[in-house]
Amino acid sequence: MLLKMAWRNIFRNKRRSFIAAAAISLGLTALIFVDALQEGMIINMVKSATSSFMGESQIHNEGFTNALEVERTIKDPDGIMKGLSKEPLIKDFAPRIKTLGMITSPGNVQSLMLMGIDPQKEKALSKMDEAMIKGEYLEDSDERGVIIGSRLAEILEVEVGDRLVITVAQANTGEMSQEMMRLKGIFKLGIREMDRGIAFIPITRAAKMLGLEGQIHEIAVNFKDHKKSWDKNLPIWKKYSKNGNVYKNWMKLMPEMEAMLSMTAFSKYMVGFILFLLVAGVIVNTLFMSIYERMFEFGVMRAIGVKPFKMGLLVVFESGVLAFSATVIGIITSLGLSGIFSHVGIDYTGTEFVSVSITELIYPVMTIEQYTSFPIALVVFTMIVGIYPAIHAAKIQPADAMKKGTK
Amino acid sequence: MKVIEVKNVIRTYKTGEIEVRALRGVDLEIEKGEFTAIAGPSGSGKSTLLNIVGGLDTPTEGEVSLGGKLINTMSGSELSSFRRDHVGFIFQSYNLIPVLTVEENIEFVMLLQGVDKATRKKKVAEILEEVGLSGSEERLPSQLSGGQQQRVAVARAIVSTPDIILADEPTANLDSKTGSALLDMMRKLNETKGVTFVFSTHDKMIMERAKRLVRLKDGMIDSDERR
Repeated sequence: MLLKMAWRNIFRNKRRSFIAAAAISLGLTALIFVDALQEGMIINMVKSATSSFMGESQIHNEGFTNALEVERTIKDPDGIMKGLSKEPLIKDFAPRIKTLGMITSPGNVQSLMLMGIDPQKEKALSKMDEAMIKGEYLEDSDERGVIIGSRLAEILEVEVGDRLVITVAQANTGEMSQEMMRLKGIFKLGIREMDRGIAFIPITRAAKMLGLEGQIHEIAVNFKDHKKSWDKNLPIWKKYSKNGNVYKNWMKLMPEMEAMLSMTAFSKYMVGFILFLLVAGVIVNTLFMSIYERMFEFGVMRAIGVKPFKMGLLVVFESGVLAFSATVIGIITSLGLSGIFSHVGIDYTGTEFVSVSITELIYPVMTIEQYTSFPIALVVFTMIVGIYPAIHAAKIQPADAMKKGTK
Repeated sequence: MKVIEVKNVIRTYKTGEIEVRALRGVDLEIEKGEFTAIAGPSGSGKSTLLNIVGGLDTPTEGEVSLGGKLINTMSGSELSSFRRDHVGFIFQSYNLIPVLTVEENIEFVMLLQGVDKATRKKKVAEILEEVGLSGSEERLPSQLSGGQQQRVAVARAIVSTPDIILADEPTANLDSKTGSALLDMMRKLNETKGVTFVFSTHDKMIMERAKRLVRLKDGMIDSDERR
């Protein structure tokens, strides 16, 4: 009966209940949408960072990434690649040689990161071939071919077909090694560092230049299921982190990205906290207005034998019913809003965040948690907040209430 | 058999610095089956006395017994249970819970008492027949006239067969014809079922029809006339 009364009571002052419900449902919609957008943004950024070139995970010689020492090559690269090819979780992998060097054109000179790649394996793993804007992507047979980023081509004032000289320091001896290469293609990934500071040549040529035949610095690895790369406890990390090698996922390769994830989670809780505070204010105000309006009625109820606890319970139920109704509306509007934008996407392309450029549309991601945990937490929280006015209602003295109610 | 026993009840209210003595030592006994009107001018203390008798208010001094039980020392929760089981209330207006239908309003007290559904339904049907409102079960208070609402209030007050019905100005908001009909109905219930009624009123019609008329003046009993 109390629940029935609570349900009917919230429809007594339709305008007030509507305003309160609208405030709660709008808040919930905002919370769900912001969360969906953040989820989408994170996935987008991780994919942008990993799919363009980096890969979802990488194997290196321990300490190589600290100073990029040419001598720190992966131990037993053939054995590792043989093992990776048999791993059921792994989709693609590509070996790389990586060193610092100089590139010279007739018009300019620039320091850069020289990457030796296996063109075919790289094609499967990264988006380098898709990023070509001029000329062509590398082939295995391109002994002297080089591809560079669009910004670097501007700095060097070169076009496809022009000659370039690449200078590196050889392993062990430190001797300078120079090669004349021909610009085969220009790419544009939309990532500033890559577009102005990297050149790609075939891995065989890079190995010769550095005196590292049969050796590599990096193996980039992609999983069949992208989400596996988020799992820090996957046994595969330990399996390939031995004999002086280390295997890291993108989170460890980009600690700033992991920090951003923590910050995103914190901001979600902050938004939730602010929303819940607003809801608390709306609910307490609505319930107190409702109690004062019905003072005589509360007095009558107490007079005919309703105990203080049940008076309070009625008010808690009213807050629960109001929150539940608002939550249902909030879920429907969230489904609509997130549903639309998860199809059409939101354009943040060109924006850079924690060194990662957003290169694709962001699609808000709808999760079960958004439509279960958030609404349940909101209803429970609202009912807890309702306890304050409920205590007030429970303390109502019938004679006082009826006197106040008739004033 | 005494239903109510009020001994030297004093009730003072404080409004800021000012202390108002609403009752100044009232002694009153009500027997079972009485049809008593407590009359007096505004501010004489009749509503205060009725509230104290019904356990809605507590005396500053003195004792109040209802059905032999001292009620002025009971806790809020005990008083709620006591009122639910032993006292029926009829107020001047807005007696009914607006969101409940006639049937739900009448069965509300029985629901609080834990009476089973079948018994509740049976009693509601009987009592509605008695107050002449059969067929109005599903109507909301807002769909009833003032007189009909008071009849429902009477039905709710008597349905759980309390020891006493306390009615605070029950005819004040009714026209004389409707008020008279309501009073006739309560008098009939008093005579046929022995229901004890105590009214707080300054309605001459009630005073004339009451079997006992207690007049209050300045918080004290001025006269007590049995007819």
